[in-house]
This record gives sequence, structure tokens and C-alpha cells, in this order.
Amino acid sequence: MSKAASGKMGKFILQMRGVSRFYHMGRVKVRALSGVTLDVTRGEFIVILGPSGSGKTTLLNLVGGLDSPTSGKIIVGGRMITALDEKGLTYYRRNRIGFVFQFFNLIPTLTARENVEFAAALVNNPIDPVKMLKVVGLKRRTNHFPSELSGGEQQRVAIARALVKDPPILLCDEPTGELDFETGKRILAVMRRINEVRHKTVLLVTHNTAIGDIADRVIRLRSGEIVEDRRNPSPIDPQELRW
Amino acid sequence: MDELHRMSKLNRKLVRDLAASKWLFLAVAIVILLGVAFFGASFLGYRNLKKSYDYTYETLRFADFTVQVVKAPEMAVEELESISGIEAVTGRMDSDIILTLSGGEEKRILARAISLPSDSRPAVNDVKVEEGSYFQDGQGSTLLVEKSFAEYHGLQPGDIVRLTVDEQEISFTIAGIVTSPEYIFPAKSRQEVLVSAETFGVVFVPQDVVPELMGKPFINEFCFLIEDGADKDVVIAEVEDALDPYIVTDVVTQADQPSNAALSMDLQEFGEMAEVFPLLFLIVGALATYILLTRIVYKQRSQIGLMRAVGYSRRQVLIHYLSFALIIGIIGAIAGTVAGYLLSEAVTNLYVGFLRIPYTRIEMGWMEWLALEEGLFIGILPCVIAGIIPALAASRLIPSEAMRTPPPASGRKMLLERLFPFLARLSSLWKIPLRNIFRNRRRSLYTIIGIAFGISLILVSAAFIDSVDYLMNLQFERIQKYDAQISFAQPQPLALADEVEDWDETERVEPILKIATRLEHGDNTYSTLTEGLPTDSELYGLYSTDGNQVTVREEGILLSEGLRNTLNIDVGDVVNVQSTSTVGQLEVVGFVKQPMGSFAYVTLEQAQSMAGGQDVITGLMLGVKPQYIDSIREKAYQIPGTASVELTSETHEKVAGLMGFLKGMMWVMLGFGAAMALAIVFTVVTVNILERSREIATMRTLGEGRGGIAAMITIENVLLGLAGLLPGILLGYGLAVFLFRLIQTDMFSFGLVIFPRTYALTAGIVILIMLISQLPGIRQVNRLDLPRVIKEQVS
Repeated sequence: MSKAASGKMGKFILQMRGVSRFYHMGRVKVRALSGVTLDVTRGEFIVILGPSGSGKTTLLNLVGGLDSPTSGKIIVGGRMITALDEKGLTYYRRNRIGFVFQFFNLIPTLTARENVEFAAALVNNPIDPVKMLKVVGLKRRTNHFPSELSGGEQQRVAIARALVKDPPILLCDEPTGELDFETGKRILAVMRRINEVRHKTVLLVTHNTAIGDIADRVIRLRSGEIVEDRRNPSPIDPQELRW
Repeated sequence: MDELHRMSKLNRKLVRDLAASKWLFLAVAIVILLGVAFFGASFLGYRNLKKSYDYTYETLRFADFTVQVVKAPEMAVEELESISGIEAVTGRMDSDIILTLSGGEEKRILARAISLPSDSRPAVNDVKVEEGSYFQDGQGSTLLVEKSFAEYHGLQPGDIVRLTVDEQEISFTIAGIVTSPEYIFPAKSRQEVLVSAETFGVVFVPQDVVPELMGKPFINEFCFLIEDGADKDVVIAEVEDALDPYIVTDVVTQADQPSNAALSMDLQEFGEMAEVFPLLFLIVGALATYILLTRIVYKQRSQIGLMRAVGYSRRQVLIHYLSFALIIGIIGAIAGTVAGYLLSEAVTNLYVGFLRIPYTRIEMGWMEWLALEEGLFIGILPCVIAGIIPALAASRLIPSEAMRTPPPASGRKMLLERLFPFLARLSSLWKIPLRNIFRNRRRSLYTIIGIAFGISLILVSAAFIDSVDYLMNLQFERIQKYDAQISFAQPQPLALADEVEDWDETERVEPILKIATRLEHGDNTYSTLTEGLPTDSELYGLYSTDGNQVTVREEGILLSEGLRNTLNIDVGDVVNVQSTSTVGQLEVVGFVKQPMGSFAYVTLEQAQSMAGGQDVITGLMLGVKPQYIDSIREKAYQIPGTASVELTSETHEKVAGLMGFLKGMMWVMLGFGAAMALAIVFTVVTVNILERSREIATMRTLGEGRGGIAAMITIENVLLGLAGLLPGILLGYGLAVFLFRLIQTDMFSFGLVIFPRTYALTAGIVILIMLISQLPGIRQVNRLDLPRVIKEQVS
């Protein structure tokens, strides 16, 4: 567990109470998430594991305001986001959440810096985009377009974009899914560093169990339910990961 | 069997893919439909009208040419019949006579009285009896009345009318209402094509009444039918020689006959439109097909990879994706063919009803069926051609590459950004749409082309409407400034003008002398009226081709603009002017704008010297006090010798009616153009939005609001629309110039005029089209399933 997490254990940034998400696919009722109750302390680095269809992405989407639960409550930073309307959720995503996607999702017609600036323009007090790109190690690549960047570089731009708004929570959905082994480790190292230095709460979803070793806390989902929620007393450096 | 089995599975996929994007396919099919319908309606309409005219002319034995003489005996007909190449000849009287209508309000109108055989139908230029009967023995003096004139004045068989010649009045009973091949378009002359039935009509009298009417036996016109295969020019030359003793004043071929010339001009427009305009639609349809199919192939990359990996051949993949284009073409072409056929019937019936064509022929001969087949072909072919490139690309995809995640779309700064560095400082709201336009340059170009074509159609139609409005304003506000014009059957003393000026009703009176003349320059001749006007005329405006007001000169002659080409003549050249009394030469001192007809203008004194040197006039132009407009005609009839009184307001109304009909057709064409622009823009905008769904979903996830996304889409589309505006306007202007050249004759000089407001209106229509066409796409964006779309790859 990071120092920040251990020091602020009593302050929850995220609370989920009995959150369920069902939806219908034709006649079939799919239970994506069922009765999830969860508290997340500010500054925690949490890895959420689970096989395909376990509900981990659904959980991330609910926390990120991209989806609404069928039942239950989600409170982020003391605010019940499940009570927000569409406009409210837009503002929530704008100001409280940073997203990192598996497929980077950069805007191809904008350079690295412009992609980050795009997000920065949405908030009143963003971090300087160029500085953010420096933090992720892309100082010399700011004027390149996504097609001119490697996969790892693109993901680092995505991380910079997610953080430039200075959100308290960073949500990462399979961030290393499209990357090779070494690049993936470097990305994880960036995320871990951001968590430790900038005290961002990180929820990282992956099917790769090995990644759990770098987390402060590992939550395992199966069939929409939390089947395991354990603390990791000795998170390892991402560079030491092997999978 | 396996092959068939596989193909049926692919066909199932085809049908489902079509259903999934049905609105997009429909939009493209609509463009094809419009093009094929336009072609079908124009071509079949042209064929129907031509057949109707041809049948009418054949049935009523419309003359191949007529020759006017001063006066000839009836026996001249026998002599002419013996000329080689003549199939039939008729001699008749053709004279303008005062016709008086009885009834509540007695009206005097200048009527063209034409004689027909009393007891048999004429061998040439017969009439069709629509109501009543042909002349019948024992009915006293009877005559036949031309249908449009009869309808206007509510005349029926049994009504009594009077014809007056040299103050001798004879009553006639109307035996029948007829249509004539010479007056389908009831034109008084080539120069006076649009005249109100208040001032001109046509009646047919029995030949045996002519001596009583004219005081002597009288033939001044011969009508001829030429044998098939005979040389028309040779025959005409021989006829002219034979009639030389009787002084030939004019020879008019069927092509130049005023009614036929007006109808032919209109028909020619139809034919040209059938060739030119459908092409625009079909090109745009092809572009839209290409854009749509390219998008489908890109989206289905992994499916294509899978198909190839599973065992489908390249040929099968090619045929499968080409089938999308084929189906668009088939649906559009079939629907367009049906629509075109129905429209052609509607257009034909509209024309036939409006013009009162005696015989209508709407029938499907081999040429018509061929045209329909051609319509199908030209609807399907562009789609197939456009679809080949993306279909080939699909078939050539390497399976392993196709199933791999595609690399990110390339991005680069625009050339504009390098030239204008300040653009780099624009916000994302502007930067993203601008770069999107250049990101897929081919698609943007095709979109601009589609918009430009749509704009061109809109502008051509609007140009026609503007030009008609300008024509009406020029003719009835600036040239024809008189409120009424009195025409005399015979020349009257000039002093009459002073008498009329003393009337309470008149504000101003100006004399006019119109002389039938033949103008010659080199090998070119033209028969028209030369009008003698006062040099200080305020009631008849003359305007040079530059738009400046001019007056008749003491020396020289002014000619209507249209005569420049007809006589191949220019300012400074000398023209021979032949009247019945004199032959002279005058220098051309200028050309004047003349929307309707082609005339020559001299001073009143010059005209009087052409008329034999007497101080006479043939008419008076009146400025009438407003409160006397309704009664001026009745007052004018009190002048002995008044043949007709034209009220400018009535002529204006008559012309406005015809122009209204034509404007209506143009509004339809404008609608076609707008529909085409809408369809292509809808297709491209929707494809663009669908392709960028993930990008848009990402922006929404980052916190961009719906309004911001909509703004970016709108900016991109409006910029594309504006980019298409200038080429569209240029193309539209070029098309308008081309079209207008077709309709320039001596009868109509339709100057191309486009008011500045029309350009603004066109731009406004384009912007509106862009905004409307993006609504479905924006609605789709607002309903995006963000979680799903964010993770979506090329499926």
C-alpha cells in the first residue's frame, strides 16, 4: 500500500452500496453486477481482476458515470452520482474522472499536445498540458500525431490526457491490453508513479492476474459479484512484473 | 451446390446489412431515383409532346410553307398545283379585321379572319371542330372561332359576332369552336407572340363570304404541302417564281410559323433538359455510392478477413460488395423509371391542357420503351462503376491484415495551418472540424461536388425565375409604359393624337406608326414591324444593351437585340428596309433590349415617309388617369376606325399566366436540386458521424457536452457547404448560360438575370440543407451507448 493510502485510510473517495446492474439482451436478462458494496480510500491503487464477463468493466463504467446502476448507490467525493441527470454526469466526468482506455482512443487529427489540450479546455484549472506530457515522458513528442506514435507512446498521451484535468480518480480499462510486455510494464510504472506522487486514486481493470502484484488492493469479481477483496501488503515495482 | 449455398449465406448477410443501414442506402437510391425520374419525365414528356404536335399537324395537314402575296385570283391555285413537288395547295384570305362581340358589353377586337372552303374541308391547314360544326349550307353567314379566344370571351355556337371592313359590317353566327394547327399558340406574329385575347383573336370565314366582306374576291395567301422526298427549297423557289406577278410579300416555312416556332422552342428545351440534368444526379449518386460502400468495406474489414479465412473466394467477396451498389442502383432506377413515366404523363397532360393541343398522343412505342430501358441502365451503371473500386479493395484485403486492429487514421496539420500559423491556436471546436475536412480529402471533395451539383440546379431554376421577373419588369414597367394602346384598322391622321390628348381620361398621348417591313442584310432577311415613335417618347422606353435609356434617332434605325444574330448585322452596317410602299437603306445606330418580339425603331417622320409620305398613324399610346382605366376602352371605341384597345395590365396578366406556368416547372426543378443536395449531404454526414462514433464517444467520456459535439459537426458541415457554394454557383451560372442560349430566338430574348438576393438565398438554402441533413446523425450521436462504443473496434 502506498504511503498516501495508508495515511488516509479513514477518508473514502468512493463508496458503493448494493450496486447492481442488469440489462436485457433480447429475452435474456444479463446480471452484469450484483449487490456490490465497496469503499475506496483516497489514494489507493486498486486492481480489479476477473475473467471476461465478470463485471469489471461494468463496475468501472458505473463509477465513471458512463452507465447507471439498476439499483444501489454510488457516492464519489461525498456526492451521490446515481442521482445525477445526463448533464450532471457530463460535469462529473469532466471534473472528477480521468479515463484510460484499452485502445487509447486518441483523436487522430490532433497531435499529442492537442489531444491533451482538448481535455484541458474542458476545465477551469487544468494542469499545463506540456508539463503533463513531460510527466509521462513525452517531452519530445508533443507535436506528433497518434499515427506517428508507438502504442506505448499513445497510451502515455492518453494517461496525460486523463490527468491534465487533475481528477481525483483515474479509471483504467485494460490499459496494457494492446501493448507488448515491456511497454505494458512501463505504462504501469507511469500509473504507479502518478498514484504515489500525485495521490490519485487509481482503479485499474484487467484480466491479467499478475498485474495485481503492483496494487495496494486487489478486488476479484466473478459473475458480477466481489469474490475477493484483499490488501496487498507488499506491492512490487511494475518493472519486476513477469507474465 | 456449395457455391450456391455459400452465396445464399452471403445474400442473407447482404440483406441484413442493407436493413441495418436502410436510411443511408435509401438516401443514395433517392438520388438515383431523382436522376432517372428527371430523365424519364423530360424525355417521355418530350416524345409525348412531339408526337402530339406531329399527329395534330399530320391530321390537320399543317402547311409546310405559306406564301403571302398582295392579291391573287382563285385560279392561281390550279397553276400552283401543277408545280412538281407540291402535294396540295390552298388559297385563302388572311386579313386582320375588326371583330365586334355583342353582349352585355360590346367589344371590338382585331381579329385575324382566315377563309376556308365553304363546302369542304381545306386541303391544307384544316381545323378540328371542338364544339358545334363546320360551315353548313343554309345557315346564313357563319364562321368558326378559335378555341382559346372563344373560351376567353365565353363564345358558343349560335352566338352572333360582327366583322367590319371599311365601315361595312356583316353579322355572322358562330357555327363552331375550332382548334387550328396554326394557332395552337395563338400568336399574332413572330413579334407578337403573347397577346391577350382582349386584343386579338382568330376566326375562320367561308370563302364564298369573302367577296361580300372584302368587296371583291380576295386571295392573299397560299398554303402548301410538299410531297415526301421533294426538295423544299427548290419547290419554294418555283412557287415564288409562279407567284411573282402577284407580288410576294412573305414566305413562311413551317419551322418559322409563329405558333410552331414557339412550341418547338419549348420542346427543344425539354429535349436538352433530358440530356443534361439527369447527368448531374447520376454523377452525385455514383459519388454517394462510392462513399457509402467505402465506409462499409472499412467497417467490415474483420468480417472480410474472416470470410476469406473461412474459405470464401475473392470473386465471391467482390460480388458480395458490388451487390450493395447494384441494389442501390436497381432500387433507384426502377423507382425512378416508374416515377419518370408517371411524371411524364402528368407533364404532358399539363402542357396539353394549358396549350389546348387538339390531339394528345401519350403512347409507348419502341423508342419510349427503349428510353425506359435506357433509364434503368443509366441508373444502375453509375452505381456499379462507383462500387467497383471499394468492392475490389475488399476482395484484395489480405485476411490476416484485415482481422488485425487497423492502425490509427493518419493525422496531419493542414496546409492552411502551415501558411497561417495562427490557425494552430484555434480551439478544438474549430481545429477538429477543419482537420476532419482534410483528413479524408477524397470524401470531402465528393461531398463538395455533390453540394455544388445541387446548388447548380437550385441556381439554374432560381436564375430562370429571376430572369422571368426581370423580363416582366422590363417589358411592363420600363418599355411598355403606356396604360393603353389604341390600334386602328387603317392609318389615321396624326391630328387625332391632339384630339385624344384633350380627353379628360388621358394624361399623355403619343402617336405610333407600325409598318410591316422586310429587313435585309446580305443573305439574311427578316419580316417584322418597324415602329415609328416620337423622339421624346415617354410612354415607350428603349434601352440599349448596356441598360441605358435611348431614343430613336433622326437618322438611322434601332434594332432589337435578337436581330443582331438573325441578320448578322452590327452597329454601323446598313440594312435594307422594304415596306409595301418603299424600299430604302438605313444605318443601324444601335440595338435595344426587347424581351418579346424583334422590332425595328425609327422616328415617326421616318416611318411616315416609309408609309408613302403622309402624316398618318396606326395607333396611339395613352397614359390614362387611374380612375379611368376601366372605361378607357369604351371611350376609345368611339373613335371610328379603332380596331382594338390593348390595356397593358391585361397583356401583363396574360404573359404572367404563361410565365407562371413555366416558373412552376422551375420551382419543381429547384426542389429536385434541393432534394439531391439533401440526399448526398445526409449520406456523407451520417457516414462521417458513424465512422467517428468512437472518437465522439471518447470526447463525451472526457466530459465534452452534447452541444459541443453538435457544434463541431455543424461547423464541419457548414464549412463543406460553403466550400461547395462557389463551384456550385459557377457551375449553375454556366448551366444557366447554356440553357438560356437555347431559348434565345427572335420571339423571345430571355436575358439571363440573377439578382444578388438569389445568391444569398441559394447560400441560405445550402446552409439549411446542411443543418437539416445532419439532424439524424446528431440524434444518433446523442443516443450513443458510450460504454459500448468506446470499446468498439472495427468490428
